[in-house]
Amino acid sequence: MAQNRPQGRIILLMTIIIAMILVIVPIPDSLRLFRPEWVLMTLLYWAMALPERVGIGFAWIVGLLMDMMLGGTLGILAFSYALVTYLILNFHLQLRQYPLWQQALIIMSLVLLVNIIKVMFSPAVASWYVWAPAIVSTLVWPIVYAVLRKIRRVFGVS
Amino acid sequence: MALFFLDSRLNYFAPARVALATVLYPIQIAAAIPSDLSHWMGDFFEDRDQLRNRNNKLESMQLLSGMRLQKLQALERENMRLRELLGSSFRLTERVVVAELLTIDLDPYFQQVVINKGKRDGVFLGQPVLDVSGVMGQVTEVYPFSSRVILLTDPSHGIPIQINRNGLRAVAAGRGLGKPLQLEHLPHNVDVREGDLLVTSGLGGRFPVGYPVGTVKSVHFPEGRPFAEIAIEPTAHLSTSRELLLVLPIESLDNTNEEPEVTVEQANGSE
Repeated sequence: MAQNRPQGRIILLMTIIIAMILVIVPIPDSLRLFRPEWVLMTLLYWAMALPERVGIGFAWIVGLLMDMMLGGTLGILAFSYALVTYLILNFHLQLRQYPLWQQALIIMSLVLLVNIIKVMFSPAVASWYVWAPAIVSTLVWPIVYAVLRKIRRVFGVS
Repeated sequence: MALFFLDSRLNYFAPARVALATVLYPIQIAAAIPSDLSHWMGDFFEDRDQLRNRNNKLESMQLLSGMRLQKLQALERENMRLRELLGSSFRLTERVVVAELLTIDLDPYFQQVVINKGKRDGVFLGQPVLDVSGVMGQVTEVYPFSSRVILLTDPSHGIPIQINRNGLRAVAAGRGLGKPLQLEHLPHNVDVREGDLLVTSGLGGRFPVGYPVGTVKSVHFPEGRPFAEIAIEPTAHLSTSRELLLVLPIESLDNTNEEPEVTVEQANGSE
C-alpha cells in the first residue's frame, strides 16, 4: 500500500493532464461549443471515487490552471470547480450507490452550474449554448466513468 | 475564495499568470501535436506533380506581386513627395516578424489564439497581428515562450477603421464566434455601401494605417433605432491562417499630429 501511493498520485495527475489536452485539441469550429468538459468530469470522478485524496484545494488548483489555459479571468473556473467538488464530496457516498444514468444527470447539473458561473462572469452573452457542454458531458459520462474505473483498478490507485 | 476571483479582475496577478502560462506551455504543445502531425504528413506525401504545380503557381504569383511592387515603390515615393509638399509626416513601411499559430482551441466564448512567439522574441503588449490578407487582432498577453492574441471578432475588441472610398472613420466591434463585425454608433444618413473596403485608420496608435480590415456585408437602417446596423466580413482568414505577421513598432508616434487622437480608447481591446 505504502509503495503504491506515489504511483497512484502520478496516474491521477496523468489523467488530469490528458483531459486538459483533450480540452484544447483543435476540432472544427462548429463543434467547439459542444465540447464535453473532460477535465471537470475527470475531477468529479476522482472526487467521487477517492474523496480522501482529491479535495477542494486540488480542484481549485486544477481550475486555476484551466482558467489560464482557456484565457478567461483568473479564478472563475478555480472557484466553480472547487464548488462542485465540494458538492460531490458531500454526497459521494450516495452518488456511488446511484445507477449510472442518475449519476449522469447529477453530472449534467454540475457541469451546467460551472457553465452558468462561467458565463455570468465573462463578457459573453448568455444563450442556450450553456446547455451544450452539459448535455454532451452527460452523454459521454458513462464512457469516462468506465475508462477511469478501469484505470483506477488496473493501476491500483487508492 | 471569492476574494481570489474579485482580486483577479484587478490585474494584481499578472506575474502569476505568466508563471502559470509557462507551466502550461508543454501541455499546449502536446495538444497541438496531432494537427501538426497531420500537416507534416500532408507535406511529406505530397507528390511531385502537386509540388511542381504549386511551385509554378507560386512563381507566377511572385512575378505578379513583384510587378505590382515596382509600381508601388514609385507610388510610395510620389506619395512621400506630395506629403512633404503638404508639410505632413509620412510613415515608412512597417517591418514584420512571422509567427506561427499553436493549433489549439481555447474557450469558445472568447476569440483568442496562442502564438509561438513570446517575450523572448520581442513580442510586446498591444502589438498588431496581421495575416496575408488583413488584420487579425492584437497581442493581449505576453508570456516567455508564447503569447495570446485577441482576434477582431472577440466581443470585447474594437478596432478604429476608416472606409477606403470616402475616408469616413468609425469603430468596428467584434460580435463573437462566426459572426460578422459591427460598425458602432453611425447615424442613419451615413454613406456606407455594401462592398466598401474598410482599412485601419491608425487612430488610437495601436494599429498601423492602411491595412485592410474587412468589407461591408450588409447595411440596415432599422426603424426606431438611433444607429445604423452595418455588418462587416473580416478579410483576414481568422479561422484558417496558420502563419501570422507581427508588426514591429514604427518610428516614434510623436510626429503624427495631423490626426487628432480622439474617441478611440476602445481600440485597446480590454481584458
